[in-house]
Amino acid sequence: MATINKIYSDIDFTFTKKPVTADIALSYDAQAVSRSIRNLLNTQNYDRLFNPDLGSQITGLLFENISPILAGTMESIITNLITAYEPRARLQSVRVSPQPDSNAYNVSITFYIENATLPTTTTILLERNR
Amino acid sequence: MAGANSQIQMTDLDFNTIKNNLKTFLQSQDTLKDYNYEGSALSTLLDVLAYNTQYNAYYLNMVANEMFLDSAIQRSSVVSQAKLLNYIPKSSLSPEATIRFVVNQVSDASLTLPKFTTFMSESIDGVNYNFVTTDATTVGVSGNTAIFPTVNIKQGIPSSLSFTVNSTSNPKYKFNIPETNLDTTTLQVLVQQSSSNTSYQIYTKAEDYLILDSSSLVYFLQESMDGTYDIYFGDNILGKQLTNGNIVIVSYVVTSGVDAAGANNFVLMGSVGGYSNTTITPISAATTGSVKETIDSIKFQAPKAYSAQKRAVTKEDYITVIQQNNLGYSFDAVNVWGGQENFTPVYGQVFIAIKPAGAYTLTATQKQRLITDVIRPVSVMTVEPTLVDPDYTYIQLTANVLYDTKKTNLTSAQIQSAVKTAISNLAATNLNTFNSTFSATDFTNAIASVSNAIITNEITVKLQKKFYPNLTTPSTYTLYYGAPLERGMFQSGVTSTPSVQFRNPLNLANIIDGVYIEEVPTSTGGLESVAVINPGYGYQFTPTVTILGDGTGATAEAVITSYGSIRAINVLTAGTGYTIAIVQITPDPADTTGALGAATATLIGRYGTLRTYYNDSQNVKTVFNNTIGTIDYVEGVITLNSFGPIQVNNDLGQLTITTKPTTTIISSSYNRVITIDPYDPNAIVVNVTAKST
Repeated sequence: MATINKIYSDIDFTFTKKPVTADIALSYDAQAVSRSIRNLLNTQNYDRLFNPDLGSQITGLLFENISPILAGTMESIITNLITAYEPRARLQSVRVSPQPDSNAYNVSITFYIENATLPTTTTILLERNR
Repeated sequence: MAGANSQIQMTDLDFNTIKNNLKTFLQSQDTLKDYNYEGSALSTLLDVLAYNTQYNAYYLNMVANEMFLDSAIQRSSVVSQAKLLNYIPKSSLSPEATIRFVVNQVSDASLTLPKFTTFMSESIDGVNYNFVTTDATTVGVSGNTAIFPTVNIKQGIPSSLSFTVNSTSNPKYKFNIPETNLDTTTLQVLVQQSSSNTSYQIYTKAEDYLILDSSSLVYFLQESMDGTYDIYFGDNILGKQLTNGNIVIVSYVVTSGVDAAGANNFVLMGSVGGYSNTTITPISAATTGSVKETIDSIKFQAPKAYSAQKRAVTKEDYITVIQQNNLGYSFDAVNVWGGQENFTPVYGQVFIAIKPAGAYTLTATQKQRLITDVIRPVSVMTVEPTLVDPDYTYIQLTANVLYDTKKTNLTSAQIQSAVKTAISNLAATNLNTFNSTFSATDFTNAIASVSNAIITNEITVKLQKKFYPNLTTPSTYTLYYGAPLERGMFQSGVTSTPSVQFRNPLNLANIIDGVYIEEVPTSTGGLESVAVINPGYGYQFTPTVTILGDGTGATAEAVITSYGSIRAINVLTAGTGYTIAIVQITPDPADTTGALGAATATLIGRYGTLRTYYNDSQNVKTVFNNTIGTIDYVEGVITLNSFGPIQVNNDLGQLTITTKPTTTIISSSYNRVITIDPYDPNAIVVNVTAKST
């Protein structure tokens, strides 16, 4: 990940503090965008106040029987979600691989951001948590 | 982080605006840049901040709203604001009926009708209502019969409560009556000395704080936060204070509000003093009563009551005082004016016209109570209040509607009914009150907006006065129509319904039936003026002016100029009985050159005469009395002199006199009310014509 200048900066959701300055830790550029994508995937419609369209129904799909068809559906949902709400990420590919044994889907998203020469790949494991 | 000049604009209540304000604020720094992306952690934090801000702003807005009478929404806030204006919102008011109550076969010397004696009303919409007496009455028994001539009974369930005064647990001496629908006019408060000493004193509601002192036996009343009622007592400065051990006993009636209005037949529940053989005669049916004053009404009335300061000086003071009467009367409209404005000025009197809700006029008792209990105590000493009945002018509307069948799928009957509804609705909003104006244009517009299919419509208006002639003594009746009237001929002018009966003055045993009133068609009187239309020339001497026509007695004289033309013709005697008058100008016999002078006469048009007629046994129209009254076409006044029919041929004994106004804009003032009679099937007539293609 070769960045020339940090054009995106966000608070890190872990809320850790920087060891030297004791200020809150920030995340930058590709990392910030990856976190944002993960955040979007974990948001269901109507979760956000006054913004019901934000998020997706993926969590609901996790309770369906695992199948490659469902994985395809998820891919298109994720693609649409990122296209709509994460303009920073220029999507290259979205792969959703069913993991029947662990009752989960492995989501691998590859995207470019401005000012970066190489694509970033972020992997998110989607599993139902209840 | 933020620049020195950046400010957060926080004047909005909208979530998105607040969030945008926060984003604008963040634009001034470059540490955190991702506020614009919905997935970022920063955006989530902004959501939380914006929501919190919005929540607080909304809450503060509501709090601020509740602080002002105009914007408060909760009843408790409105009531509390009104309290600052010394205004106690009106409670529910029981419908009140009056009966004559007779107890038969009484063997005692006197009989007491106790407080809260219960009567059951007839069924109204399937419900029998409880009515109770609110005071005890005692009468003497004569001939084993006790007669209570007028007993006022109020609808409601009687109830009572007692509280023992304890300055430790209730140091403010405030007691709550847990009823939201109690009629506070029925509230009676007794204070018993103690549980061992049963002597008691009656406390009354404090009304005028100026006259209170440390010994005044008063209680204060207020509506509490939950809509029930609190009573509290004085502090030994304003009103006598209670002492420990006193027992406060309150009794009151809890009403069902307006539901029992109109109840008129009652039966006694149980017995009175052990006697149950009773006769009940209704005197007046239950009044409307009212529900608890609404929030809107409190907002409207409280500032006005405050500005009136319990004094009736201005017109508005009177209206407020009367509208806020605590007698349970509700009025549709009240109008007040000074007697000096009357047609015949009356000084030192203020005239009050009241249109009661659900009735045409107030009863004599209601008028008396309004004057003595409501108006007199607050009016200026030297000004005499006089209650007058509303003077109703009824409008008869005929609407002719032309419509296009191609533009609607409604039948002509449906259009007719829709037009009728539109007229009734507009009449309900515009008319039926004092100081209203009837305008035919308004009605034409309302009809036009009923349907696109209506091509055009026109309205003709007739005005009616209804009155009950005195059948025993011939009387004078003056009917004010409030608009200039059209001169009519025969049936197109003044008409009367129904027919009336008169005694034949020549033979008192002979009764003449089927008598109607009409205009005398030749009642035009004499000459008003003569206008010269051609002055002529060469008159050497003043020519003779002769008035030719069907009347008699009119004379006029000409005035000539020094050049020999006629300058003017002056009427010397107006004459009588002219319907047509021709001015003839004859030169003096000695005059050889005068010629061509011409003039026209204008007849006096202001007054006409009314007569009564009937059709005799051969069906020949016969005039019964040629001068029963006069009609003033300009002022719109009909006067009937010594009008003494012995019977009016309808159930009510009500005579209607119909006229046609020359204008279709009719305004009411003083005690006049323009209305459309809901019981008259001919009040609104709609003729619908389909346009032929």
